[in-house]
Amino acid sequence: MNIHASATLTPAEAALVDGFAQRVSELAGDAGVALNRDNAIEAIKNGLPTRRVEAWHYTDLRRLLNAVPSFDPAARPAALKPLLEGSAVLSVSNGVGGVIASVDGVEIERFQDLLLAGDARAALAPADSADAIAAINTALVSDGFALAVPAGADIATPIELQNLQAGGQVHARFPVTVGAGARVTVIERQAGTGDTLASSVTTLDVADGAEVLYVVVQEQGEGASHLGQMRITLGKDSKLTLFLMNIGAKLVRQDLVIAARGEGSDFNLRGVNLLGGDTHCDVTMVLDHLAPHTTSTEIIRNVITDRAHGVFQGQIRVARDAQKTDAKMACNTLLLSDDAEFSTKPELEIFADDVACGHGATVTEIDNDHLFYLMARGVDEKTGRAMLIKAFLAEIIEELESEELVAVLEAKLDDWFAKHA
Amino acid sequence: MAAVQETIDQVRLLDVDQYKYGFETEIETDLAPKGLDEDIIRFISAKKDEPEWMLEWRLGAFRRWLTLTEPNWARVDYPKIDFQDIHYYAAPKNQTGPRSLDEVDPELLRVYEKLGIPLREQEILAGVQKDVDSEEPSDNVYASGRVAVDAVFDSISVVTTFKEELAKSGVIFCSISEAVREHPELVKKYLGTVVPTTDNYYATLNSAVFTDGSFVYIPKGVRCPMELSTYFRINEKNTGQFERTLIIADEGSYVSYLEGCTAPQRDENQLHAAVVELIALDDAEIKYSTVQNWYPGDKQGKGGIYNFVTKRGDCRGKNSKISWTQVETGSAITWKYPSCILRGDGSQGEFYSIAVSNGHQQIDSGTKMIHLGKNTRSRIISKGISAGKSSNTYRGQVSIHRRAENARNFTNCDSLLIGNDCGAHTVPYIEAKNSTAKVEHEATTSKISEDQLFYVMQRGVPEEEAIALIVNGFVKDVIQELPMEFAVEAQKLIGISLEGSVG
Repeated sequence: MNIHASATLTPAEAALVDGFAQRVSELAGDAGVALNRDNAIEAIKNGLPTRRVEAWHYTDLRRLLNAVPSFDPAARPAALKPLLEGSAVLSVSNGVGGVIASVDGVEIERFQDLLLAGDARAALAPADSADAIAAINTALVSDGFALAVPAGADIATPIELQNLQAGGQVHARFPVTVGAGARVTVIERQAGTGDTLASSVTTLDVADGAEVLYVVVQEQGEGASHLGQMRITLGKDSKLTLFLMNIGAKLVRQDLVIAARGEGSDFNLRGVNLLGGDTHCDVTMVLDHLAPHTTSTEIIRNVITDRAHGVFQGQIRVARDAQKTDAKMACNTLLLSDDAEFSTKPELEIFADDVACGHGATVTEIDNDHLFYLMARGVDEKTGRAMLIKAFLAEIIEELESEELVAVLEAKLDDWFAKHA
Repeated sequence: MAAVQETIDQVRLLDVDQYKYGFETEIETDLAPKGLDEDIIRFISAKKDEPEWMLEWRLGAFRRWLTLTEPNWARVDYPKIDFQDIHYYAAPKNQTGPRSLDEVDPELLRVYEKLGIPLREQEILAGVQKDVDSEEPSDNVYASGRVAVDAVFDSISVVTTFKEELAKSGVIFCSISEAVREHPELVKKYLGTVVPTTDNYYATLNSAVFTDGSFVYIPKGVRCPMELSTYFRINEKNTGQFERTLIIADEGSYVSYLEGCTAPQRDENQLHAAVVELIALDDAEIKYSTVQNWYPGDKQGKGGIYNFVTKRGDCRGKNSKISWTQVETGSAITWKYPSCILRGDGSQGEFYSIAVSNGHQQIDSGTKMIHLGKNTRSRIISKGISAGKSSNTYRGQVSIHRRAENARNFTNCDSLLIGNDCGAHTVPYIEAKNSTAKVEHEATTSKISEDQLFYVMQRGVPEEEAIALIVNGFVKDVIQELPMEFAVEAQKLIGISLEGSVG
């Protein structure tokens, strides 16, 4: 260990480094994977990113990640009932793949096996020095699931991936590939209780003409830290709808890195973030339009109350060749308390001259005119406010085609409102 | 949708090889030796006949500067500047400060004549306004002769016109060097209170070595009777220009101030690091307009001015207002964020900008609106147009602080690319800490025009014309923020339509 560097480590950084030293012998992987892990932990020893690193401008990870619990072998929650009835459940509990349903036509492997075989090596390296989530995950990842949907398959059964915790720290990976022309719905749940540190990295490759609905629901314990990352590539004429819901954890950072590589690909992001208490939630997206005729829309809706701090950084980059790109990004926030805070940085970086790109951002309170309209019709103020907030979010949720999914997600909203009335 | 031909032609008129002000003037010059150390600062201070406190202020800034490193966060790329290879003082010989017009070297007057800024004072008859319509259409605002001009040539102000006329209303308009000597109480009270000497690398450098610039004080309740203007000209080789401008609008006063700048065509890069501080007290209003036309470098990106400028206004009093309008066409590199600190309750900040980049120009510009007081309002309208191999970035911040109840912001920034070798970027930072605040940011064209477009088109106007009509109308909104007579340079830009623009 580098003694000079370790002298300046924060308690959280030191806990990560020590945790690695303790667990490294149990972590799966061949020699190549081990080298990746060593490099990643070295990167952590150089310090977690501070707000001086532009990608972490509003989330000073070095300051905010102030405690890292050590791995707790006893913290093994049981698999959850899936959100959608009839889903195939693949559950990781405390970093170990346990429940494994089989799905006709989908190849499923434990990520641990890929680590042992060294097959996962290439995907392990962090993108750059600011990529703290991949660094932490690479160093400490223990298991997860790899899904491969073959070309042309139309998978009717929704697949639910669960990353479950009950304290301690867990690090999981979910590589998903969807073959050409295939169709599938995947639900990823990051759930648990206790003050867990969870890192989770999903890679999603959508091949030409494939169509994917991917739903992420983050509902970790109130004191938990969630470090999530999705790295996505989109093939020609493929279509991905990514739905994101954050209703848990105290510190959340989600990196979404999307490369629209194939001509005519279509990417849609919908995000709903409900933040209360002392939550700090940062959703950071970098979307690269790399091919002509690619389209994307992003709508993020935040409801922020108590002392919570919400962050959305969205960067759309349009490469020189990506003519006729149509990209639209919107971020709307309801700020409901005087101690709440919201920061956003909707960035555009455009190198093609024939494109339509736009972004909009609004921050406001509930519109008094709207409230008045309801109250004039006999609705009391509290109910009226609740109706307006729900309508603000439901608008996004109701875009989803599956009525069952809409009902389940709206029920999650209601649970949250009940708790943060 | 790509840019239409009309737009392309208009931008071409502003291209780097069309630069009209690139001539050089042979004039005997007093030069400080190259390099920067405490002795040079003492030299500048002595040249300006400054009191001891001013020198100490400069030296304090210089010592601070030595501890700083150049900022590198902007999207601009240039070779490292050798700060020891610059003359920090250059002044025409026999000219140590502003004098009356008949004492000024005729050669200098000819320079300004050539630039279209005749430094003559046209008598304004008391109470009689000239009939504007009867005049020949004037080429620019200065030609009308009814604008008070402070002419800054390299490191010194050579003349300030209409001083006596202005003094009648109690308005002080002079070079900053003169203000340090003649009005030390005002300078001491306000200098460095908006942009402290510790603010940033270039502002700190400027605080150490600033040479000249303008000083304006508008007394309580006075509406400044004419437009004030400073015209900056860099002439001498291997020099840097470090202007310092301080404008104070006392309670209930109003002033409109214009700034223009040009430089000769040269293969070397020259540094221009200015600091402008505006202070608006209760119910005062300052309108600050810039047409920035420094030499942008040639087609190959050789030469041109590095324009690293710190401009900030402080709405210190309640219901005060500061409005920045800029038309940016020059400079090889622009690094400039005219900002407003909305401290007084009910104060307002505005930023209107059109930035056109051509050739190899790099622009990283925008604004900051810092809402501190209650019921503060801000509005940002920014249009960026990039062509050639240029890069054009809008970088802005809107920050609503905890106590800024009912703060309101509206931001709109659009950009347009012409050709495939340039880039347009938008980097807005939005931070809200008060739930009663209302912040809106948009950077789409479709949102402005879809309904309007439909409206116009269903009356039989073809789409392209309809777009041009709507967008020109919108750009005109920005141009109209410029003082009326000032619009010639800007008028070229009116023709530029922004259809097919990106956020």
